[in-house]
Amino acid sequence: MKNEKSPAELLQEREKRVMDAVALKIPDRVPIIPAFAFFPAKYTGVTCEDAFFNPPKWKEACKKVLIDYEPDLWQFASVLPGPVMQILGCKQVLLPGHGTSPYHTHQFVEGEYMTAGEWEAFKRDPGDLAIRTYVPRVFEKLQILQELPPLDDLVTGGGVAGVLDYFTRPEFIEAFDVIIQAGEAMAKWRVEMGTFGKDFAELGFAAYSGAATQAPFDLITDFMRGMRGSMLDLYRHPDELLEACEIFTPLLIERTIAMAKVSGNPRVFIPLHRGAEGFMSLKQFEKFYWPTLKKVLLALIDAGLTPAPFFEGGYTTRLEYLLDLPKGKIIGHFDTTDIFKAKQIIGNHICIRGDMPPSLLQTGTPEQIKDYTKKLIDVVGKDGGYIMSTRGSLDEAEPELVRIWVDFTKEYGIYR
Amino acid sequence: MSGEKSAKELLQEREKRVNDAIQLKVPDRVPIIPSFAYFPAKYASVTCEDAFFNLPKWHEACKKVAIDFEPDLYHFAMTQPGPVQIALGNKQLALPGHGVSPMHSHQFVEGEYMKADEWDAYLHNPTDYAIRTYLPRVYDKLKAFSSLPPLVRLFWGYGEVTTTELFTRPEFKEALNALELAGKEMEKWREEKSRFDQEMESLGFRAVSKGSTSPPFDLISDMFRGMRGSMLDMYRNPDKLLEACEWLTPRMIERGIKSAKASGNPRVFIALHRGAEGFMSLKQFETFYWPSLKKVIIALVDAGLTPAPFFEGDYTSRLEYLLELPRGKVVGHFDTTDIFRAKQVLGNHMCIRGNFPVSLLQTGTPDEIKEYTRKLIDVVGKDGGYIMATRGSLDEANPALVKVWVDFTKEYGVYR
Repeated sequence: MKNEKSPAELLQEREKRVMDAVALKIPDRVPIIPAFAFFPAKYTGVTCEDAFFNPPKWKEACKKVLIDYEPDLWQFASVLPGPVMQILGCKQVLLPGHGTSPYHTHQFVEGEYMTAGEWEAFKRDPGDLAIRTYVPRVFEKLQILQELPPLDDLVTGGGVAGVLDYFTRPEFIEAFDVIIQAGEAMAKWRVEMGTFGKDFAELGFAAYSGAATQAPFDLITDFMRGMRGSMLDLYRHPDELLEACEIFTPLLIERTIAMAKVSGNPRVFIPLHRGAEGFMSLKQFEKFYWPTLKKVLLALIDAGLTPAPFFEGGYTTRLEYLLDLPKGKIIGHFDTTDIFKAKQIIGNHICIRGDMPPSLLQTGTPEQIKDYTKKLIDVVGKDGGYIMSTRGSLDEAEPELVRIWVDFTKEYGIYR
Repeated sequence: MSGEKSAKELLQEREKRVNDAIQLKVPDRVPIIPSFAYFPAKYASVTCEDAFFNLPKWHEACKKVAIDFEPDLYHFAMTQPGPVQIALGNKQLALPGHGVSPMHSHQFVEGEYMKADEWDAYLHNPTDYAIRTYLPRVYDKLKAFSSLPPLVRLFWGYGEVTTTELFTRPEFKEALNALELAGKEMEKWREEKSRFDQEMESLGFRAVSKGSTSPPFDLISDMFRGMRGSMLDMYRNPDKLLEACEWLTPRMIERGIKSAKASGNPRVFIALHRGAEGFMSLKQFETFYWPSLKKVIIALVDAGLTPAPFFEGDYTSRLEYLLELPRGKVVGHFDTTDIFRAKQVLGNHMCIRGNFPVSLLQTGTPDEIKEYTRKLIDVVGKDGGYIMATRGSLDEANPALVKVWVDFTKEYGVYR
């Protein structure tokens, strides 16, 4: 079959298959979008470090995976621009070969990058806190910015005269050079990453997403207050937390829509972190997490986009909230949520993606894999609205088992 | 007389004379501090442009004036470093030779540099407002900053490193270069300023003031909302205006204290602009202008400094408010205020400086000049607490008439 169709035709066919599922229609077969993540490293013998520091090499590895497995859309690791992180001395992440093993995924470095005591300053003058306190804390090479005087002085009488001295100091000139160098590395990175989409499209594969965003709450817990900090904030600084979520919401929406328009891809990847069952109570989810996330999702839908949240962790108790969203407009990618229960509750409302356990693809038997695949297709795939996928990342999966899973999905998943 | 005393002795003598007047004591004679402003240009045949662009030349002219007229303290034009303004493309100032004639004073360019709907950004997100809105609007060379994303996005950690790419744009590099150039020019300017102060000190002359600050209302009216904007604000945004005045008060205090302490000169110049009779009603003065100005003045006194407000325009109906200030701690320099009434109201409370009409020194006769000088000394100088000065600036005065005035003041003004 595939020899008869051009890559462009195949791409359209695959897109249609996925978007039919998103629209809760019945496609020709169950689409499959494995979260390959760092799988190309193991599969082709390159390193995870290459994903961050050698885009052309990483692209070739990804290409091989695409050609060999033919997913309906491609989704690899969301990598960060390694050279940019190095130039800025970013302390929030350890990259493969630079803090973690070159053969394994990167690691986020949890921390209270903004302290609880700084909520007050955040409310009073967030720009000043960002430039003089937060940025120097996160980016080692921009530490010198902490020596700047209070920046509200620019509009409280001091004017620009008060800061001019800093622009002649060698350490500051160096810091500005660092920013420019980072910018140049960023530009190079962006161009290189742009070729991924173009090259893969020529092979007949569109990207799962062209833009990414987060839940407003997650920005705070990930980048500002840390897990511990934000959990304490739920009790000690609830108002500040809610206010910050509200501040971030329109900014996230605006940035994400712009990113998506530039990419031309309607799907927006939204990894959800701290809204899951282990992290907060249902009441907290309802108060702190869901309202602003919902606003983001609705705004993206209104802009004609297809939000694709990844519900990492368990959301079984939170499924009903998704009924607040318009029907057939999002992809819910589930991890440890009870996917069969999800089918019952939201099956007629949103497209479900999941949840083959990567462990089965790493240590399971072909029979176990086929059994679970069959069950997913029979139950969750019933009447469409379903996309076959793994729970989390396939980094360490056994290539042969992945093949069995993918092939069997394509064979058994045909809707007749 | 000056031939017999050392410069140091003369300096001490002059300081004491002025301080006695400030403390409402009777000095040896009425001190005289003409507001020479741009007078050195006309007198020494340099240009007003030199005051901004050729500081050593300007200082020579000022020195000549000081030596020839021997004021008790010197008071020349408060100029800005011209090359700094040019480097940054300051649109708020038209400088001599750069927008106005090289032979005349600089002009402030009135404007609504902050719009009425920007009050919240100004008050609650000031650094962001300064960097992304206000500076790009006022400084032509900093307009690139208007394309920066909201600064609160910096809290998205490495998620926001894409912003570095902006700094590779030519207009950003140009902005950073402009700031560096301006910083270097500022350094040169300060060095020359401080050299001049030292030279003048060695000649027996000290500045009327080195430190300065503003009434909170005027900062808003001058630099942000403009005359028209701030006048409308009194009706349409009174709460914002008051919130701003309150917010700015500690900053204006700090500015005054810092700038004075850094110089070692205890007098703090405070130019009053929009509190005068033509600009606002007495009720508005009482509501919007006076409360925060009063706080600034009292705080400066508490810090051991001598506030020296220049009441530009007419404050005749507002004199009673000045009785709320500590006695013998402030110099009030009056312009068109009825100075004889000021003596009645404030004579036992606050040192009065003024208010010789500049027009008389330009077009009057020696007899007219002596007559008015005598009247000022007899009435306002009675029992001390008075400093002879002009109303406004002497820019265009006739040097021979100025000489008559200064000499006669020194002769007739001796307390016996």
